[in-house]
Amino acid sequence: MKDPRSKSFYIAGFILLGIVLASFILSLIWTPYDPNATDPASKLMAPCAEHIFGTDNFGRDTFSRVMFASKYTIFISFAGVAIALLLGLLTGLPAGYYGGWTDRGIMLLSNSVMCFPGILLALVAVAVAGPSMFNVVWALGLVFAPTFARVTRVGTMEIKQRDYIMHAQVMKIPSPRIMALHILPNLVGTLLPATVIGLANMTLFESGMSYLGLGVQPPDASFGKLLADAQAYMTRAPWLIIFPALMLIIYILGLYFVSEGIRVRTQKGGV
Amino acid sequence: MGRQAGFIISKILELLATLFLVSLLTFVAFSVIPGDTAQVILGPDASQAQLDALRSELGLDRPMIVQYLSWLGGLFTFNLGKSAAFGTPVAGLIAERLPVTIGMSIIALIFVIVISYPLAILSARRPGKTLDQIFSVMGHILFAIPPFALSLIIITIASALFSGFRAGQYFAPSDNFGGFVGCLILPSFCIALPKIAMTFKYMRSSIIEQNSSEYVKNAKGHGLSDLRILVKHVLPNSNVSSITVISIVLSDILAGSLIVEQVFNLPGLGRLLLAGIARRDFPLLSGMVFYIAFITVLLYFAADILGSIADPRIRLK
Repeated sequence: MKDPRSKSFYIAGFILLGIVLASFILSLIWTPYDPNATDPASKLMAPCAEHIFGTDNFGRDTFSRVMFASKYTIFISFAGVAIALLLGLLTGLPAGYYGGWTDRGIMLLSNSVMCFPGILLALVAVAVAGPSMFNVVWALGLVFAPTFARVTRVGTMEIKQRDYIMHAQVMKIPSPRIMALHILPNLVGTLLPATVIGLANMTLFESGMSYLGLGVQPPDASFGKLLADAQAYMTRAPWLIIFPALMLIIYILGLYFVSEGIRVRTQKGGV
Repeated sequence: MGRQAGFIISKILELLATLFLVSLLTFVAFSVIPGDTAQVILGPDASQAQLDALRSELGLDRPMIVQYLSWLGGLFTFNLGKSAAFGTPVAGLIAERLPVTIGMSIIALIFVIVISYPLAILSARRPGKTLDQIFSVMGHILFAIPPFALSLIIITIASALFSGFRAGQYFAPSDNFGGFVGCLILPSFCIALPKIAMTFKYMRSSIIEQNSSEYVKNAKGHGLSDLRILVKHVLPNSNVSSITVISIVLSDILAGSLIVEQVFNLPGLGRLLLAGIARRDFPLLSGMVFYIAFITVLLYFAADILGSIADPRIRLK
C-alpha cells in the first residue's frame, strides 16, 4: 500500500532540490556578474534592482556568488558520498558475505572509527593534509564509509541466505562475481535512502568545515564559505548571511524530504 | 542478578577493548602523518643538532611501541606532555576550556528534554491530526538546519531588531556564573534545535507504539485515567528506547558545540582544537581527539548499562 505522505515528501523535496540544482546548472553557463569580479564602487550594497541579493565587502554580486557556491556544495556532497559508498561496498560486501574473522576484523575497524565524532575526524584529517577541496572530499568520504559499510553488510547477510545465491555457490561461480553481479544489484533498495541521507549529512559537515576555514579555499566558495566570509559584516549586511544560509538549508531540506519520501514508501504500516 | 552482573562485566570488557583500539588508532594516525613536534616548537630555522637534541628530550627518538605505552600511561594520569604551540601542559589547556563545552552540552540537553518530550506527548495523543502534522513538519525542517547557520541567522535577525543585542560576549564562570550561563543559552539553543526535532520524532513514534499495545488497552479497559496510563506505563517504557537516542544526541551536541562556539566566539574545546590545527600541535590534537572519543564511547557505554537496568530483556539477548 502506498502512503500518500510519500508523494508530498517527494514533491516538496524535488522542488527544493530543483532550486539548488537549477542555480548550479545555470551557473555553468551564465551568472549575472562574474562571481569573483570585485567592484570597489559597489561595496556592501543592499539588495536592489541591479544586485537582487546585494553585494559583499569587495563589491561582488551575492546572487552570482550563491550560484557559483552551489556548484562546490553539490560537487563535494556527491564526490564525498561516492567515495564513502565505494569504500563501504568494498568492506561491507566481503564482511557480510564471508562472515567469520573477515567480518569481525572489518566491523571492529569500522566500529572503532565510529567512536570518533565525525566532524572531529574530518577536521583533524583536513588539518593534517592541508585545507583544500580535494582533501575535504576524501576526508569526508573516509568518515562516512563505516555507515555505508554497515548498511551493505546487513543487506548482504540477508541476501546471502536466498536460494539463488546458494545455487550460484553450488555452480562454483567465484565469490567476487557473486557479490558484484548477484548481491550488489539487490542492495540498491537499501543503499538508496542511505545515500540520500549521506548527501545531506555530507553537506552539513562540509558547510561546517568550510565555515571554520578548513574546507573550500578561495577563490572557490561553498555556502559554508560564503557564511564564513559574511560573518564580519553580518550586522551591516545581513543579506550576506541570509541568502547563502537559505540556499544551504533548502539543499539539505530537499535531500531530507526525498529520503523521507523513500523511507515512508518502503516502510510498511509504520507510524 | 547473575545475568545483570555478567552483562555489565561483558560490557566493561567491551568498553576497555574499544578504548584500547581508540587510543591505538589515535596514536598511529598521529605518528604516520607528516609533521614533527620538534620542528613545530623550534621553527623552520632550527639546526639539525637542535632538532635531534629536542627530539631526544621529548622522547621522540624512542621506538614507537615505547612512545605509545608512555602516551597511553599519560592518558590515564592526565600527563600528556606540553603543547607544542602553547608551551603549557596539554591536560591543563583542555581543563581550562572544558567549562564552556560541558556547560553548553548540559544546557542543550536540558532544552532537548524539556521541549521534545511535552511536544511528543501532545503529538502522540492524536496522531495524524492537525497539531501532530504541524509539529512533524516543523521537526523535519528544524532537523535540516545546520546549527551554525541557524546561529548566524538568529544573530543577524536579533541585531537587526534590537540595537542593543551583542553576540560574542563571554564571562568566566568563576567571575560571574550567571553571566556565564547567560552567554551559553543562545548557542546551546541553536545546537539543541535539530536534536529536539530528532528526539521528538523518536519519542512520538515510541509513545504511539506503546499506546497501541495490549497492556495499554487493558489499562484503559480497567478504567485507568489517560494521565495515569501515560505517566505510570507509557513513559517509562518509551524511556527505554529514548536512552539510546539521548546518548546519540549528547555526543552530537558535543561535536556540534565545536563549531557553534566559533560563531559566538566562546573559548571552548572547539577553539582550542582550531588553534591546535592551525599550529600543527600534535601533542595537543592527539590528546583532544582521544578524550573527545573517550567521552563518546563512555556515553554509549552508559546508555547500554542504563538500558539494561530499565529493560531486563536487553540482558537476555
